[in-house]
Amino acid sequence: MSGGGKRRRVLPGLSPTGRRVLYAYAATVLLFLLGGLVRPGFIQATNVLTILTVAMFVGLVAAGQSFVILIGGIDLSVPWVLNAAAILLTTSSGGENARAAAALALTLGMGALVGVANGIGVAVLGVPAVVMTLAMNGIMEGLTLGLSGGMTCSACASYAPPLVQGLAHGSLLGVPAPLWLWLAVIGLVSFLLQATVFGRATYAIGTNLRASELAGLRVRATVIALYGLSGVTAALAGIMLVGFGGQASLGMGEPYLFQSIAAVVIGGASILGGRGHYLGAVAGAICLVTLISVLLAMNMAEYGRSIIYGVIILVLLLLYGREARES
Amino acid sequence: MAPPRRPPLAHALARHLGLVLVSVLLAVSVIGYCALYLATQARLPGMFELTSSLNNTMPLALAALAQTMVVLTRGLDLSIGGIIDLSNALAALYLGTTAASMALASALILLAGAVLGLVNGALVAYGRLQPILVTLATLAIFQGLAIRVLPQPGGAVPEAYTALLVNTGAPYALVYVLALMLFWTVLRRSQVGIALLAIGDDEAAAAANGIDPVATKLVAYTLSGLIAAAAGLFLAAQATAGDATTGNGYTLTSIVAVVLGGVSLFGGRGSGIGAILGAFVTTMIVNILFFAHIDPLYQSFYEGAFLVIAVVLAEGLGRLVRRRRARA
Repeated sequence: MSGGGKRRRVLPGLSPTGRRVLYAYAATVLLFLLGGLVRPGFIQATNVLTILTVAMFVGLVAAGQSFVILIGGIDLSVPWVLNAAAILLTTSSGGENARAAAALALTLGMGALVGVANGIGVAVLGVPAVVMTLAMNGIMEGLTLGLSGGMTCSACASYAPPLVQGLAHGSLLGVPAPLWLWLAVIGLVSFLLQATVFGRATYAIGTNLRASELAGLRVRATVIALYGLSGVTAALAGIMLVGFGGQASLGMGEPYLFQSIAAVVIGGASILGGRGHYLGAVAGAICLVTLISVLLAMNMAEYGRSIIYGVIILVLLLLYGREARES
Repeated sequence: MAPPRRPPLAHALARHLGLVLVSVLLAVSVIGYCALYLATQARLPGMFELTSSLNNTMPLALAALAQTMVVLTRGLDLSIGGIIDLSNALAALYLGTTAASMALASALILLAGAVLGLVNGALVAYGRLQPILVTLATLAIFQGLAIRVLPQPGGAVPEAYTALLVNTGAPYALVYVLALMLFWTVLRRSQVGIALLAIGDDEAAAAANGIDPVATKLVAYTLSGLIAAAAGLFLAAQATAGDATTGNGYTLTSIVAVVLGGVSLFGGRGSGIGAILGAFVTTMIVNILFFAHIDPLYQSFYEGAFLVIAVVLAEGLGRLVRRRRARA
């Protein structure tokens, strides 16, 4: 772009997206240092690992949110897909290891199914993504509440199978197991987006839908698959969350909608599609969770956290979320 | 201007398709509601039901109109719930007991709502940020401010204030609904209204035709904040107390009402009257589910399913009409 030529580039050779991802990581490091100033124990390894583990839940949801935001979509159905997944896992397994594998398959399958339904609504029926996924969130909320009788069903008090709880609480080589899982997801998502035809098609659709169609890309199938993936990651987050907490509860998915969107955007993705990288969303998720932890460490009241949270997002947006001025 | 090639009635029908559809939807849902009411209560709904339906819908009708202002400019205002929260919390604390204090406090609260809207608008227009992200961030800020103002639900709203805004004795709220529709009609024909639709339709073309996109967005978001604050006042009058989280649900339901009302989320197309009628359709659906003895736990399921079906049908009909128009 000619406008950027005048400014001296920090780190030449890095794409604008790469630079934004780097900014998000820099902001995270700054926040950790700030936390260290506020409370000396903040940057100890155990605390850092805890923060990263909490960030994983946001990060998993943000993976799916990245998929759909890259094509200029959005997934507002995340909260109740996540919540439904958590409840489905505990009720279908009854807390028994023997039924854990089947319950996991069922739960991830449910996530995929709901996501695919979103994708069909958007790509085939032409419903705007905001409306389709908003409606789906209501549908899943109603189904979850109704089928569980408002969490009064006999199986609703079940715990997650010990196997799943072990996965959420275990550790390998001193690193919590959820972080290994997250690393695997990061590797998988990055590979999918950067090194496959599917990934290139995703960026192409996000950049120009019509041109992608004319170029012979299988636009509909790709869009449906992307929403399906978002359903799967939301369900996976629900599984990990219920494994971490032991029991499911109503409304446990609510915080993850706005946090997942914020993580993707802080990570430098364009909400209009075509630009972004999952590594950025990972930084965004860590950044957000660190911010919340710092504010908690400062004994900030809830209202203060909410206000500062909003202000920081605005500042980050103003720093690098601005659109080019139209000529 | 070239004369319309088709009969004026068909032309008008096609031009206001969204409005026609939501009117039909409202008529059908009202008939369905009356039929169910008759079947279960062995009489038709009367003045009391009309009054309570109107009163219950007023906050959503206002929220929907507020959302329309922004959606028409191809934006989305997620902070509406936060502005309602804050306005509601302020009302519960500062309305006072005399007529003068109530009038002054109400005016100041509306002004505060307008200022918050203006902040959104400035961030969108001058900051060149995506509306959905700006209002996502300001939603957190406004919600935080509301909880700061009123940490626990409480405060008090004078009886006279409730009697004025939410009179349970007679369907006075009809006056407010008509006033809102009149406001939209006047706005639509003013320069501001034309500018709103124009920049939503094609910002570059509008700017080339001398419409200032920055000023128009500022006005749109300011109006949205002002009207959302009014919704907060109505909610306070209805509950006779304040709650700093009462508005949270309205961010999403206002989008539902706007979509049912035929306002295009892609900007430039739609009517505030449609959005207000969309709000009434939403209320009617809740009423129908209640009298159909649907388990309230399933309520969101039916609302979500209804939203998708309504949008798909409207889209299909719209395509049909456009195709016939193209052929004509």
